[in-house]
Amino acid sequence: MLHIENLCKSYGNRPVLQNLSLHIAPGDVYALLGPNGAGKTTTINIICNLLKPDRGSVRINGLPVSEQTKRLIGIAPQENLLYKVLSCQENLRFFGQLYGLRGRLLEQRVQQCLEAVNLLDRSKSPVETLSGGMQRRMNIAVALVHQPKLVVMDEPTTGLDIEARYEIWELIRQLQRQGITVLLTTHLLDEAERLATCIGILKQGQIAAEGSLATLRQQLPAQEVLLVQSPEPEKAIERGRAQGFIPRRYGSDLAFWLPEHLELKDIIERFDGIELESIGRHPVRLEHIYLEVTQDRECSSGFF
Amino acid sequence: MKLWIETLAVAQRIVIELFRRRRSLVFWSIFPISVLLLNGFILAERAQLSMDQAFESAAPTTLVGAALFFSCLGGSVATVVAEREQQTLKRLFISPLSGTAYFLGIFLAHCFIGLGQTLLVYAIASFWGAQFNGAIWLGGVIILLSIIAYVGVGFVLGTQLAKRTEDVNALVAAFGVPLLILGGTFLPASLFPDTLLNLAEFNPIYHMNEALLQVSANGDGLTEIELHFWFLSVFALVMIVAGWLSYRRMIQVERRL
Repeated sequence: MLHIENLCKSYGNRPVLQNLSLHIAPGDVYALLGPNGAGKTTTINIICNLLKPDRGSVRINGLPVSEQTKRLIGIAPQENLLYKVLSCQENLRFFGQLYGLRGRLLEQRVQQCLEAVNLLDRSKSPVETLSGGMQRRMNIAVALVHQPKLVVMDEPTTGLDIEARYEIWELIRQLQRQGITVLLTTHLLDEAERLATCIGILKQGQIAAEGSLATLRQQLPAQEVLLVQSPEPEKAIERGRAQGFIPRRYGSDLAFWLPEHLELKDIIERFDGIELESIGRHPVRLEHIYLEVTQDRECSSGFF
Repeated sequence: MKLWIETLAVAQRIVIELFRRRRSLVFWSIFPISVLLLNGFILAERAQLSMDQAFESAAPTTLVGAALFFSCLGGSVATVVAEREQQTLKRLFISPLSGTAYFLGIFLAHCFIGLGQTLLVYAIASFWGAQFNGAIWLGGVIILLSIIAYVGVGFVLGTQLAKRTEDVNALVAAFGVPLLILGGTFLPASLFPDTLLNLAEFNPIYHMNEALLQVSANGDGLTEIELHFWFLSVFALVMIVAGWLSYRRMIQVERRL
């Protein structure tokens, strides 16, 4: 559905994308992750034909990005870009018209989109009277009105409460069930974990790691992480290393990758003589993989 | 067909927004009514004209000089600035909407408002006995050219100079009020000293006012208003080009999510 090959883009002397390549299969939910400034928004701008790349190509459904491919894409930007005094229905009708919908088909699509985002009962309400979560759903509805093949969602749940997040997540799952391809950017890693069939982690304008969550986990030498709090972190790191554990620091948190499954009492025994405030063993999560990929280390881990 | 559908969609959206907000429409109604009544009574009293003659003279300048200036120029600046402020411009850039359809949509919406104001001004003027003495088609063309020119200027100001809603009033007042006075909107140009009149001939509002005044009040034809008419036509054309170029520039600068 979306094929990006060797995409390069610089702003002045600052390179933002450096030979970025990624491929999204039809029906996939692809989560594009990365720290601020990694190039996520630049990538979206190029996909939407708002920016021209310096080099490389982007093809949507086999077509190079152009004014024509705009009809294949639905964009739900980070901000709710809606006409606030217009009702939900009027917003959808207006944007539908811009995509060439008319008459009965337009009315049908307006109703279907309102139903899809669960706003049918608020169809005549001005957007400014809706809650933040409802406005965000309307923002997505506008992206869907012309039945795009690819939906791009830029941080769809940022700033929303947990209930509103669940509603958006359910909406994304619905799209996936309908076979619509979704490109999602987010800073919420549990969101990517829940929704994505494929995850790409951007670092310095390149995809540094890519695959399903299971594939990414397999690339690590451990399936479990030990989280430790100790007033003697240096001693703990030294001891952990001696036991074959791979130490990591996440801010002030201390963690060890466990290369093999061990009982907690065995682990505690191995830290004998070191004061521990707390210790806990967890399965590797996306946040650990993400940090492994994006954090700069003096000695590269070489896992990715 | 595509262009027409998009144009109509943009125009319809602007008109719905204006009706929802109401405030602008109310101001755009009150302003020409008050200017017309003041102009009409002052002319009747000070120029010793009959009421019908006074209102025949007051109606054209009130319409193109005052009413259309604020609704079409101020309105189109406000439309572009509001789109920028609520960031809906970005959504328009993402969509397949063409710049031409966007411009035409704003023009069409303001034509609708302008038509309403024309009916309002002439209905009140006719209440005092005023008549439209010239060819209605020619009056219509002058009004349309004035709207095109105002929307074009509005595009230039809205895309290049006004970044926020607060800028709109300052801009319209700074550029507009001196031009309106010099155009003979509030004070008939026949009362101007020669030096001011020479200066006024470079002011498009003066030509709009004079063209419609001569057609409406004196019943003049195209030959008699030739100079004003062509000045206005060329100015409208230049403003379309300038508005279009400004829009293109804005797209280049602001086409980012």
